[in-house]
Amino acid sequence: MRARLIAAFIVVALLAALASAWVVTLIVPYYPSLGNLIRPALISHLLGSHVPGTGRRPPAAPDAPAPEPATALAFVLVAAGLLLATITGLAFAASRRVLGPVRRLARAAQQMSGGDLSVRVEPAGRDELAQLVTTFNTMASALQDKVGELEVMEARARRFAGDVSHELRTPLTAMTAVADILGDGTTASADGTAAARLVGQEIRHLNRLVEDLIEISRFDAGSAQLIAEDTDVAAAVQECLRARNWAGVCCTVPAGLTARLDRRRFDVIVANLVGNALRHGDPPVTVRDSIQAGRAGGSELVLEVRDHGPGLPAGAIGHVFDRFYKADSARARSEGSGLGLAIAQENARLHGGRIDAANNPEGGAVFTVRLPVH
Amino acid sequence: MTTVLLVEDDPGARQGLELALRRLGYQVRPAETGEAALDGIRQGAVDVVVLDVMLPGVDGFEVCRRLRRGSDAPVIMLTARGDDFDIVGGLEAGADDYVVKPVEPRVLDARIRAVLRRLARADSPVETHGELVIDRSSLTVALRGREISLTPTELRLLLVLSGSPRQVFSREQLLDLVWEHGYLGDSRLVDACVQRLRAKIEIDTSEPRYIQTVRGFGYRFGPV
Repeated sequence: MRARLIAAFIVVALLAALASAWVVTLIVPYYPSLGNLIRPALISHLLGSHVPGTGRRPPAAPDAPAPEPATALAFVLVAAGLLLATITGLAFAASRRVLGPVRRLARAAQQMSGGDLSVRVEPAGRDELAQLVTTFNTMASALQDKVGELEVMEARARRFAGDVSHELRTPLTAMTAVADILGDGTTASADGTAAARLVGQEIRHLNRLVEDLIEISRFDAGSAQLIAEDTDVAAAVQECLRARNWAGVCCTVPAGLTARLDRRRFDVIVANLVGNALRHGDPPVTVRDSIQAGRAGGSELVLEVRDHGPGLPAGAIGHVFDRFYKADSARARSEGSGLGLAIAQENARLHGGRIDAANNPEGGAVFTVRLPVH
Repeated sequence: MTTVLLVEDDPGARQGLELALRRLGYQVRPAETGEAALDGIRQGAVDVVVLDVMLPGVDGFEVCRRLRRGSDAPVIMLTARGDDFDIVGGLEAGADDYVVKPVEPRVLDARIRAVLRRLARADSPVETHGELVIDRSSLTVALRGREISLTPTELRLLLVLSGSPRQVFSREQLLDLVWEHGYLGDSRLVDACVQRLRAKIEIDTSEPRYIQTVRGFGYRFGPV
């Protein structure tokens, strides 16, 4: 932009210089005394004493001969050069004046698209550019206010979900405490017993839902903490499976693999992925574990949970970690809360890692956990 | 019959838990507030305290701290799952164990039994480790000739560790042996209890002589 502007100025300056030189050559012959007075002095001053025709003659000699053609040419060239230099300088200054604010605006816009909405440009002058800068600043302020408003609303909505879940927990404590009494067989009829069993089952389901909602609202509020300690990965995976009586899961985890993990959160990740595979896939469900070189240079703990079912539907792969996502909306409610995979993903992120979902070419869904190992 | 002091402000939860504990064969003394709970402790004959963290007025942590001054009755905190602040706060205040709300009655029952489990009295001679004297038959511990008051959990932890001097126990092993938890993945219970035990039996807690940390593995007793 600037180079092109300067080139244009140079062309104009050259033309102007030639034109003025031409005018000068037209005028000078009519005013020889003027020409004698100015030219040699000027030229000898600028080009030294080697300019032909100037010699060491006194500059104001009245009987001086008419200027030689070489002297005229030199004069024209010097005048053109001077003019060129002046105009280039002017062009440079003008381009600075125009391009400076434009560049500052561009930088600010770039910062804004990078997420920094607090950026403003210092307005200078009163021209159209200054007006543009003022408009830009107004726009940035409006955008910042809007985004701030949305953030407040979002935080409020999330806090509301968390608050509701906490409120639900108190009545659930009472219901959970007495649910077993209902199912004790104290009711006479078969319907009564069935109803009691259903109530107990639904209370447990509601408990899971509320717990998961509270857990995820902690991630939203940014209050989830990582309590990492050196962990024997094989032992942690086996404990997780044993605690839930998942005996049919085939586990290939090399012994002696250790990583700094939050035990509870790692347990949640493994339990959610394996539970999901057992519910939605077909056996055998396999868990594989290894340490691999990570993308960022360090090494990562890679844990793979695979089932041998039909795999994930084509459109589901990008959404399985969404909250309450169901691959088939017509499918009956599963025993999970619908938040398990979202919670697993949040736990992986808290470790600085992630979980990816994919289909194995040989069939079945594969969930791969990658956690950086420091 | 075991007497449970049940401290819970919500009437529904209190009545539900009271009903469930009664059916499990406990005698229940309900208390609505922290002040009522402290009164209940002063009246005596409380075997175990089940204490809600969120209480109006004096909260569960403060109740636990105050009752620890005059009582060694085991305390089980009723907390919200995963609320790390709750758990750590409760353990620092001196709780022996915690259960998460909403708790199933059989889980609470198992925890109460675990904190109350009679310690096997062995007919072994009195052990002396440096300035610490452990009497396994009378279940008393003395430091420099003075008897120290330990809660059942602290005593069990000390007996387990000192039963095999120099052997390193992992936190998971200790959770299993002392608290009879299944898998919890929560070693803070052990760490908090070790700190309390050290505060009572170590001369210098920054350089523990009896309960030593083996970094990356767990704890061991001695060598003294």
